[in-house]
Amino acid sequence: MSATCEFQAKDYKSDLKPIWCPGCGDYSVVQGIYRALAAIGRPPHEVAFISGIGCSSRIPGYTTAYGFNTVHGRALPIAQGIKLANPDLLVLAAGGDGDGFSIGGGHIAHLIRRNIDITYIVMDNQIYGLTKGQLSPTSQKGRTTCTSPYGSLENPVNPLLYVLAYGAGFVAQASPTDLAGMASTIEEAIRYPGFAFVNVQSPCVTYGEEAQQIKGLKAISESLAAMGHDPADRLAAMNLAQQYGQKMHLGVFYRNPEPPTTYDALVRERQALLAKDALPKERILDLFIKK
Amino acid sequence: MRKDLVFGMAGSGGDGIVSAGDSLLQAASAEGYHGVMTKSFGSQIRGGESSCRVRISTDPVLNPGGNLDVAVALNWEDFLKFGAELPVAGTTVVIYEAATGVAENQIPLVGVTPLQVIAVPIAAMAKETAGTERAKNTVVLGLIAGWFGIGAVAVMKGISKKLAKKSQELVEANQKAFDAGMAFAQAHPLKADMTIEPSAGKGGVKLLTDGNDMCAAAAIFAGCQFFGGYPITPSTEIMQFFTNHVWKYGGAVLQAEDEIAGIGAAVGASFAGKKAMTATSGPGLSLKSEMMGLASIAELPLVIVDVQRGGPSTGLPTKTEQSDLFAAAFSAHGDVIRPVLAPTSVADTFRTTIEAFNIAEYYQTPVIILSDQEIASRKETLDPIDTSQFKIINRLAPTGSDLQDYKRFKQTENHISPISHPGLLGGTYLASGIEHVESGAPTNSGSVHARMNDKRIKKLDPLKERKDLFEITGNPDAPLALVAWGSVAGVCREALQMARAEGLDVKLMVPYLLYPVAEQTYRDFFASVQKGLVVEQSHLAQTFKVLRMHLDLPKGLQSLARSGANPFLPGEIVAALHHLLSELQRSHEGKLQPQE
Repeated sequence: MSATCEFQAKDYKSDLKPIWCPGCGDYSVVQGIYRALAAIGRPPHEVAFISGIGCSSRIPGYTTAYGFNTVHGRALPIAQGIKLANPDLLVLAAGGDGDGFSIGGGHIAHLIRRNIDITYIVMDNQIYGLTKGQLSPTSQKGRTTCTSPYGSLENPVNPLLYVLAYGAGFVAQASPTDLAGMASTIEEAIRYPGFAFVNVQSPCVTYGEEAQQIKGLKAISESLAAMGHDPADRLAAMNLAQQYGQKMHLGVFYRNPEPPTTYDALVRERQALLAKDALPKERILDLFIKK
Repeated sequence: MRKDLVFGMAGSGGDGIVSAGDSLLQAASAEGYHGVMTKSFGSQIRGGESSCRVRISTDPVLNPGGNLDVAVALNWEDFLKFGAELPVAGTTVVIYEAATGVAENQIPLVGVTPLQVIAVPIAAMAKETAGTERAKNTVVLGLIAGWFGIGAVAVMKGISKKLAKKSQELVEANQKAFDAGMAFAQAHPLKADMTIEPSAGKGGVKLLTDGNDMCAAAAIFAGCQFFGGYPITPSTEIMQFFTNHVWKYGGAVLQAEDEIAGIGAAVGASFAGKKAMTATSGPGLSLKSEMMGLASIAELPLVIVDVQRGGPSTGLPTKTEQSDLFAAAFSAHGDVIRPVLAPTSVADTFRTTIEAFNIAEYYQTPVIILSDQEIASRKETLDPIDTSQFKIINRLAPTGSDLQDYKRFKQTENHISPISHPGLLGGTYLASGIEHVESGAPTNSGSVHARMNDKRIKKLDPLKERKDLFEITGNPDAPLALVAWGSVAGVCREALQMARAEGLDVKLMVPYLLYPVAEQTYRDFFASVQKGLVVEQSHLAQTFKVLRMHLDLPKGLQSLARSGANPFLPGEIVAALHHLLSELQRSHEGKLQPQE
């Protein structure tokens, strides 16, 4: 699809009013998605947007795409079924850090190794917001929350290192501190032919700590492009990703310069190759004839 | 001459006893007989005990049979591990390995005197003729051909075909082993003639397959284009069939990372507009329950196969049971009705699976097929099925005017709303596990929730009127009755024939639809019933309890329920019916006594 001006950002905006708190970072994420989709120009009805459960998982409803707000932690398996059932669709998945890296943490590795062409956006706010402020898998060690009144005893998951280690072909980070950058990063992720991951540092204005608000994030933010990082260098990306929690690098950590054929494309090839072997359906029981 | 023979054979894993059973069934099928074969194993991957039960008959076979007519023990330790799965009676001919050193009058079967006991030097004959003990199973097939008249030609024809690719020497070695078995049988005739009558159906085309393969083939016939699943005994073969064939029909299969992802992918495919399926067994059903709830509230068609095995937890992974009815009907939270269907044989797995897809698509709901290990892995000879008699139903697509102002969950007269799918212009909507208004937008409203619950539950009401999902046989006005489903139904069908032949006035109900409970159909059936049995392989008597939950059952209706693995025997059900009849007669006599 060529990037025509056929669609504008507002064409992807639904008339549902978000449940998010005023000032929530997720407002910027949905704006970024509208812009990215408009730039790509796919009509809303060809987009399937899947989420799990959490504040951020409400996001599909705020778009005019086909949305599916599923169950906690299971956006990715459902998104994969959709993409395999109809590879023509543009499939987006989104959710929070708890949804993606705690209850649904087991699914990411498998989507990455299959390399199905799905873009996954995690709105990482280091807290469970919908349930009102419990420790999340990306909360810093020592953090006090209502389930860690004496401070967390756990190390956080590093989402960037996690997906890089499993071999994701596209890994990026964005933040509402740079809305234009977020839109273009999401656009690039969608355009990448294969699984693409965008971690968005999206502040929770209600339960987040001071350092995780826009001002605090800006203070630790650094543009990967400005630093001269080569996104084709996976080891350099992993090195930089280790600073998750201290630094907030924005932009593309890694983009496989030679994207391998996606799983969904291979499925199509196989279907085309084997179609000639199909018995007519009404004769399928002939498979069981014993002479 | 016999019309029907039941063989039970056991040995250790490497003895090839199951492959002997396969050869016997295939040969019998080639000779025009009807047959069923079930397998049972220990849970070892290789080695351990293994057994099979093969029933060969001149007439269609209703179940794998009761007491064995012929027992074959390659060693006693393994044979005995199967206990009541391979019941030996006074009518059984017992053939066993002479090298076990057990005297014919000292075989370790307590409390039973078989019709005849014969020690055969099976291993020695194999070694002498084929040069290896691995041909033991072929010697056994020769013995069976010699004594019982099955497969004298067809067995070796089958084996040659199978081994031809390997080497001609192997074929010749097996031929020698087979001939030695035949010769031994001819030299040692049985006391009673147990050869089977010639079959009438010789030369006719027969199908030979098991319940899992039949289920998967039926799904593809019904238009299923996506399977998501995870390996679990005894349902894995369904996924394997899909991996072999679904691509040819433009479909896809995903072996997922876990049970939840397997059903999740299927839910996704259904949302994308394709007919989708997942299959599992007990532990997997427990894991899938949240997704089943999602499919119910999002009103997405989906077929879930649960091949039941002994539970709870890992339970008896390789043995059959009917203890998942509660889980199928009631697992997953919230007020929801999920249709549950059950096949009773390999043959009707075809129809039941198509029906499951039709119901799922028409009513936009998950549907569970409650199969069981016995049906799933037993092999059955079948007459060809005329597939043109089966209608395929697809989900209700939105019309042009529906799409003018599309409301995915629109209230309609029959509570079924047109369903769009990604890619369809004008049909965009938000699907969700959250309660929603007609458009799909999330809501917290109690009154909308009540209305939507009403819609999702009431849309299934017409299912309860489906008389064709119940099989009722015997005298409709009989005072005695049996109720059974799944693999136990086949045992009860035979028990019904036997009981009626013995003059009992009895009828049988076999429900293919287990849930929702079709109250009126049961009420009509029970109207004449004074005494009866609900027969099931569930220690808790789950079927009896589900019926009691929905109906006032006749006072004389009792439960004949026990844990899985050990099969019900037709004879014990007939005996139970005789007992019920005598109770009934006593109570009538009591009533006739003049009041003091």
